[in-house]
Amino acid sequence: MGVYILRRLLLMIPTLIGITFVVFMIIALAPGGIGASLRVSGGEMEANTRAIREAYLEDRYGLDAPAPVQYVRWLGRISPIKFGTRDQIDPTGEFIRSPKTPKEPPLWSFFTEELPEDAEPVPYEFDLSAGLTDEQIAVQKSRAYRRQSQAYSQARAAMIANKALLDELIGRIADENALRGIRDSNGKIRYGVVERNKDVFENDARWQEVQAQGSVLIDAYDEAWRQWGILKGIFDAKPFPEAGFGNSWVSISSPDFGRSFTKSRPVVDLISDAIPITILLNLIATPIIYFIAIPCGMLAAVRAGSMFDRLSGAFFIALWSFPIPLAGVLAIGYLANNDYLGWFPVSGLHSTASEGYTYLPSVNTQGNWEPGYLLDLIWHVCLPVLCLVYGGFAILSKQTRAAMLDNFNMDYVRTAKAKGVAGNTIVMRHVFRNSLLPLITMFVSIFPAMLAGSVVIEQIFTVPGMGRLTLESINLRDRELLLANTLMIAGVNLIALLLADILYALADPRISYK
Amino acid sequence: MSKNANPVQADKPSSVTGVQLAQGIGHQPAQSFWAEAWAQVFRRPAAVASIVWIAIVSFFAIYAPLIASSHPLMLRSEEGTSSPLIESLSAPDVALLVIGTLAPFFLFFRIGPLGFGPKLRLIIAASAQIGLVVVFARMIESTFTHRDAVGFVADWGRSDLFVPVSVALLCAVTMIPFLLISIFVYRSVGRSVFVLGVAIVAGGIVSWKWTPTLNNFDYRARESRGLVDATYTVVPYSHSHSMPAMFNRPPGATPLDAAWSRLEAWQRRTEGRSARYNEEELASIPITADTMQELRAIGRSVDGLVSYPMDEFVDQLESRVDDGQITNLIQMREAILEHDAPVHTIGTDTLGQDVLSQMMHACRLAISIGFVSTGIAVVIGVTIGALMGYFGGWVDLLLYRVVEIFMAIPVLFLLIVAAGLLPRNTYVMMAIIGCFTWTGAARFIRAEFMKLRHTDYVQAAQAMGLPLWSILFKHMLPNGVTPVLVESSFLIAAAILIEATLSFLGLGPTGQASWGSLLRNASGEAGGFLWWLAIFPGAAIFLTTLAYNLIGEALRDAIDPKLKKARV
Repeated sequence: MGVYILRRLLLMIPTLIGITFVVFMIIALAPGGIGASLRVSGGEMEANTRAIREAYLEDRYGLDAPAPVQYVRWLGRISPIKFGTRDQIDPTGEFIRSPKTPKEPPLWSFFTEELPEDAEPVPYEFDLSAGLTDEQIAVQKSRAYRRQSQAYSQARAAMIANKALLDELIGRIADENALRGIRDSNGKIRYGVVERNKDVFENDARWQEVQAQGSVLIDAYDEAWRQWGILKGIFDAKPFPEAGFGNSWVSISSPDFGRSFTKSRPVVDLISDAIPITILLNLIATPIIYFIAIPCGMLAAVRAGSMFDRLSGAFFIALWSFPIPLAGVLAIGYLANNDYLGWFPVSGLHSTASEGYTYLPSVNTQGNWEPGYLLDLIWHVCLPVLCLVYGGFAILSKQTRAAMLDNFNMDYVRTAKAKGVAGNTIVMRHVFRNSLLPLITMFVSIFPAMLAGSVVIEQIFTVPGMGRLTLESINLRDRELLLANTLMIAGVNLIALLLADILYALADPRISYK
Repeated sequence: MSKNANPVQADKPSSVTGVQLAQGIGHQPAQSFWAEAWAQVFRRPAAVASIVWIAIVSFFAIYAPLIASSHPLMLRSEEGTSSPLIESLSAPDVALLVIGTLAPFFLFFRIGPLGFGPKLRLIIAASAQIGLVVVFARMIESTFTHRDAVGFVADWGRSDLFVPVSVALLCAVTMIPFLLISIFVYRSVGRSVFVLGVAIVAGGIVSWKWTPTLNNFDYRARESRGLVDATYTVVPYSHSHSMPAMFNRPPGATPLDAAWSRLEAWQRRTEGRSARYNEEELASIPITADTMQELRAIGRSVDGLVSYPMDEFVDQLESRVDDGQITNLIQMREAILEHDAPVHTIGTDTLGQDVLSQMMHACRLAISIGFVSTGIAVVIGVTIGALMGYFGGWVDLLLYRVVEIFMAIPVLFLLIVAAGLLPRNTYVMMAIIGCFTWTGAARFIRAEFMKLRHTDYVQAAQAMGLPLWSILFKHMLPNGVTPVLVESSFLIAAAILIEATLSFLGLGPTGQASWGSLLRNASGEAGGFLWWLAIFPGAAIFLTTLAYNLIGEALRDAIDPKLKKARV
């Protein structure tokens, strides 16, 4: 059994990689590509400022690399086994990676004979005078690193800004000289084309201007390298504890999901806020489905062909066809809206007053009755769970009925009847136990459907779970958040499926996974 | 055998013995597999009702542009008579009208030597061919005449030869696949003539309706100025005709309702109160000159929505006020509301678009998304499933990992991601629904083919050296495809639900009426609940998915051998 579980867990890895790859490729295929919302958000800026801001953000999140490279980088970050220089973890839990080196400026051969040499890391020693507490030392180290990291990003930003200015200048000259194919589909300059048409630029009146801008860019590049050297020196002096364990070649550490582009919070924080809510909804809903559907299916099977059987069959197929959005809208409209019944809250998981509640119902200091945290939660969760649950009934009760009917025709039932076993005992003890197996496998199809259904329900009832988070990340084109969400949803789903298989083996002694 | 035992003349005996059966008594002529299955489906009232409902939805899918349009059927002016309705039809509209009108006649009347099955295949092939031409024509048109098009693209888009050459090329290219596959007869002459004929029809439709349609709805304004005389269709509103003055109006609302409620709101505003008036209060409010002035201003704002000049109507009202026939607001309300005006039978939505018209136009999306995306899913699933089942081994292992990837994540989740990120249009949506729901079909076919590949006839086919595609799709597939075809009914239902859900989340196709996006507006921003936006589109989605599910259920029971045995 242990080996089986281990194998299944290992098989999850290619599946998870596959699924995140599919999602990643969809993001990359989308119009505007990855991080499109970053570009859109600067809509009112001047074109020049916007180009600089775009270039800065692309640089910061590595969006300028081709999509497959970005994906492999992401995989490298979330993989627990990491290669190369070990990351460090700052006190807020964020991963600090070894600083990126500055990128070679484009067209540098236009402006200079050879590029300035790459800087070497400048060895750095923390000033650890005696008498400081550990805490003070940590603060000091962190401050030194932050200061230099800011200096380096400023130098990098200056370089990017100068590159954007150069691009703009080149673009304008190319347009004036009617040079075609100078820009790619994203509007970026194709430097290869520029190099091939160098004479066009050299003959232009503004060649001097280009030269001047180019040498500024080279200077900025040089300065960026210098700052990098200092920063790398500080990084190598290990201002923060290193992540996980291992050496500087291979190390094992927790996955780094990065920071959300748009919410500037670590993705892990966002997800750890949201995922318990989604799991809570599904964990409440699943037993309800089983507790209602199985008795209905059993009753239908025992009285196969009766009025109850036919009516419940028709009713369940109708429930199954009922769209979740309609159920949600009707529930809110008629049950929660104050113009109609208004019995339930319209949105959220807690009422605003719930902050001060005790866990169980109680009488507060003013002598008023308070529902307490638990009742408040149940009251809020009623409608979402109702909408989540009803679709599952149909499938499960039909399956129960079919499985029971299959078993009724078995020889052992006839034998039991011949022995004079009471009808109820046959149904409950013999037939039902043997019909349990397909019901456990049904979990495999119900659970994913519910997990996805909760995306819709969370949106309707404004429950801050994974579904809403996913929709937000889609609307904002937030690569980090969306990929992490996908990974989480798929992971939860796969683990639930594995649990179903283990239960299957427990329920049926004939099945073993050896 | 005696003459009495002739099966045609024999009465149907209540019970038949084996000997009698051997004599031919009680013999029933054999039916084809599918004919028998459908005959059993038609014995169920629920399934028949479902088929009727689907037929109704399909009817609106085809004829909605003729039934519900803001463009008048006839427009008479001094320049002559024209029909903006016909002008407004787009190429897909015309293609659907042609196919939808001709196909049933062709199918259900005994024309020509062909049977039902071949005729159906012919119609499907012709629809696919015309559909391809229409879709690609729109793509070509938008690429070459795009605003941002540069260089030779724009030059070519503007040239005179552009339309005829593109249409001819397009028709010729789309003919190729249909010439290659054997659709109905193996005689290549008949096939070529048929495909050529279809191409000519498609080319005609596309070149007639090349440029995008009119989107100007000023007919009523022109009518009220007395410039034209218009005759409208049954539902005189297009799905995209947005009337800002008419937003969120309940069923039965007219522009005059809107005018009255704005007058009442103005009255409340002047008195500085927020609660609505009751009848007695209304009766006590007199009509002043200010009221009439406000009414005139309101009248001008809804002038484009009615066929007569509102100024004249207000003049009429004013003269009745002067005569003392109207003295208070309640009489004014009656006078306004009893006047004739076009009705929004089931209300309007948040943008002031007619709900009934949108419901009708959305039928097309529902029907087409169901069929096309299921078609895509079945084709992908059958191909991959056939390969997995036939070859087994590492092919199976590898491809089954792909199937597992799709099983590992909720499909709806993946669809939400894809629909949210990719361009919002109908074709993309059909493609993604098709591409993410094929795993069920693949698993069915895989299981069937694993059984079938060891059967004698398959081995005989292999021994004869038939090509792989022939073994897979000509010999094995017809014996293994039944469960997939039955499941596809459920897949259609699922696709319609998915479309509704995506549109509800705001990820649906833009510029397209959809039941889901109507439902989306039901909980108004101000916390109100617009019930007509929930009930009518919701019922349409529900009934359509229910219908497909019931048909699928009935079909499954009809072909399930276990149940059949139980029935006999």
